[in-house]
Amino acid sequence: MSGDVILDVRDIMVSFSARRAGRKYRVQAVDGASLSLAEGEVLGIVGESGCGKTTLGRTIVGLVRPDSGTIRFNGADMIGAGSSSLREMRLKVRMVFQDPNASLNPRRAIGDSVAEAGDISGFFKTRAERSAAIAATLTAVGLNPAFADRYPYELSGGQRQRVGIARAILPTPSIIIADEPVSALDVSVQAQVLNLMMDLRDQLRLSMLFISHDLGVIGQISSRVAVMYMGRIVEHARTRTVLDQPLHPYTRALVAAIPKPDPSKRILGAIEMGEPPSLFTRPRGCAYAPRCPLASDRCFVEVPNLRSAGTDGRTIACHNV
Amino acid sequence: MLSVRDLTVSVGPATAPVDIVAGVSFGLAKGEILGLVGESGCGKSMTSLAVMGLLPQPGPRVRVGEVLLEGCDVTQLQPWQRVEAGHGRMAMIFQEPMTSLNPVRRIGDQIAEAVRVHEGISGAAALSRACELLELVRMPDPRMQLSAYPHQLSGGQRQRVMIAIALACRPQVLVADEPTTALDVTIQVQILGLLRELCNRLDMAILFITHDMGVVAQLADRVAVMYAGRIVETAAVDELFGKPRHHYTRGLMDCMPSRNSGARRLPTISGQPPVPGTVAAGCVFALRCAAVRDVCRVATPPRMEVSRGHEVLCAFPLGGGELP
Ligand SMILES: Nc1ncnc2c1ncn2[C@@H]1O[C@H](COP(=O)(O)OP(=O)(O)OP(=O)(O)O)[C@@H](O)[C@H]1O
Ligand SMILES: Nc1ncnc2c1ncn2[C@@H]1O[C@H](COP(=O)(O)OP(=O)(O)OP(=O)(O)O)[C@@H](O)[C@H]1O
Ligand code: SF4
Ligand SMILES: [Mg+2]
Ligand SMILES: [Mg+2]
Repeated sequence: MSGDVILDVRDIMVSFSARRAGRKYRVQAVDGASLSLAEGEVLGIVGESGCGKTTLGRTIVGLVRPDSGTIRFNGADMIGAGSSSLREMRLKVRMVFQDPNASLNPRRAIGDSVAEAGDISGFFKTRAERSAAIAATLTAVGLNPAFADRYPYELSGGQRQRVGIARAILPTPSIIIADEPVSALDVSVQAQVLNLMMDLRDQLRLSMLFISHDLGVIGQISSRVAVMYMGRIVEHARTRTVLDQPLHPYTRALVAAIPKPDPSKRILGAIEMGEPPSLFTRPRGCAYAPRCPLASDRCFVEVPNLRSAGTDGRTIACHNV
Repeated sequence: MLSVRDLTVSVGPATAPVDIVAGVSFGLAKGEILGLVGESGCGKSMTSLAVMGLLPQPGPRVRVGEVLLEGCDVTQLQPWQRVEAGHGRMAMIFQEPMTSLNPVRRIGDQIAEAVRVHEGISGAAALSRACELLELVRMPDPRMQLSAYPHQLSGGQRQRVMIAIALACRPQVLVADEPTTALDVTIQVQILGLLRELCNRLDMAILFITHDMGVVAQLADRVAVMYAGRIVETAAVDELFGKPRHHYTRGLMDCMPSRNSGARRLPTISGQPPVPGTVAAGCVFALRCAAVRDVCRVATPPRMEVSRGHEVLCAFPLGGGELP
């Protein structure tokens, strides 16, 4: 890790209460996750669908209140902060939402949505400056500036996703929590958007938490990656290390399931993944134990903690590797 | 099974229509999976909505062309006639789950309703079929999650609810618009395996829209590549990956992160796709094509069959080819 730590997240716990079949349950969506982000660094987050990635991201930008844990931005506590410094931080730490539809107001023109954060904070001095900023931001994400006057329903899925990115980078923040920001984009537009994000990282020292299920994309943009499983981080290491030599049994399954763009190397039907885990009845020991090929008796009773493994800062939570 | 001919979808006034899908033709045989790939905004979703007869109103409309389902043109039918014509045997998985799920209804009821409509079975039986469907799409705790509301689910869990609803009517033709985009690879591989199995076992045909070249390679039998509202290349999947002939297809393959791991910058296809309605003459890809010649800018390229079942819309395809 290099540079100053700009974001430090410790032991975050988030749970939801849910009524199911007449009974009340607590769903532990995030179960003690910790991570830190240096200036100009991109940390990738991967993990099974439903493992708590979005919830963790929403907690960091203040949309979800954690049950416990701390979030520090430039050393200042974000959870206990007063409303004025909170507003300031909200401008500095922004989120690209997974579902662009849920976050775009259907009755607002695209340009107004893109300028929203700037409008609220009084960022634009003149109307001309505002229009120019909107046009430049739309161009940066590969959209025609004329889209400023269009409405969300006139755009394709990938075009809306890029509007979501445009909204998060005007005015330029210090940290972006990007939740599947390029997942709806074809490879050529994806490459264009990733190049833009790498420019923001390198030229403006922007930091990012990059949530994605595409390990190829993560490998491109992030130097380190955290692998989550059922609310916990189970492996954390340099991205190349994880891709080349995944250690945790879940990470191994993840890497094996990457669809290879080669029709002669088909894996469908050839790999067995086991049943997805239940959220309502958590296993007592390691959450992965019911599916794990390496599980031993200990795994079913004792939760493995993150410990360091290897020399390059890799940590892993598993009893048997 | 399904045959789409010269499909053209337009927006704007009838006197000056702008074609966002321009003369798309393809066929889909029983048990076949056709992958449809192409740049964001090129018209994939509009094509699939038109095939389903579900274009949003008002707005885009089918201006020319036909969609034949077992010989019957479904674009000419009113919605109530579609069910009778077997249109009820077509189902669609939409690109954005949040907009197509009802936010204030439990997901179990939403799936059960689809079951009721198509199978005419009552409350409790429909609900238990809904539970089976959730299990089929690998939803954890299917029985408990029947009473969840959409906002209580993660992005990928909602996506699986959409797949369950689409499968509820036991479709013969499934149109799937980016169905696994929100899923991590371990669940994706299971869902893709499930779809493949349904095709083999029940002869279901799938039009599978995706931008993920890995998914296409894993799943599709044939691939159609779309650019600016047109299909520019179709071929069997091995052939397309082994010997792409259109310059755009080639460009797409070169952009894949997996082929560029560790590169400082990813290659892109320079330039932007044309704004619909602005290409008057010539090839739609001419502005961005590295191999462009003068004739490309003025004459619409021919659709050439470079080998059996391999068509390309280009006057000078990669690897050569005889002009007709
Ligand atoms: N409001 C809520 N009420 C109850 N449960 C919830 C709520 N929001 C999320 N959950 C549950 O918490 C878990 C974590 O959800 P989250 O959206 O963070 O997952 P995710 O890792 O982002 O998954 P995906 O990759 O599918 O988007 C999920 O299993 C989900 O069902
Ligand atoms: N109501 C409308 N009015 C004008 N243009 C529209 C309208 N609806 C869609 N379009 C345009 O039509 C084109 C095709 O849209 P479509 O949704 O089919 O794209 P797509 O290929 O599915 O893209 P993506 O991969 O991003 O989902 C887009 O460029 C879009 O901007
Ligand atoms: S701790 Fe045990 S069950 Fe968990 S991943 Fe390691 S070997 Fe498998
Ligand atoms: Mg999510
Ligand atoms: Mg689309």
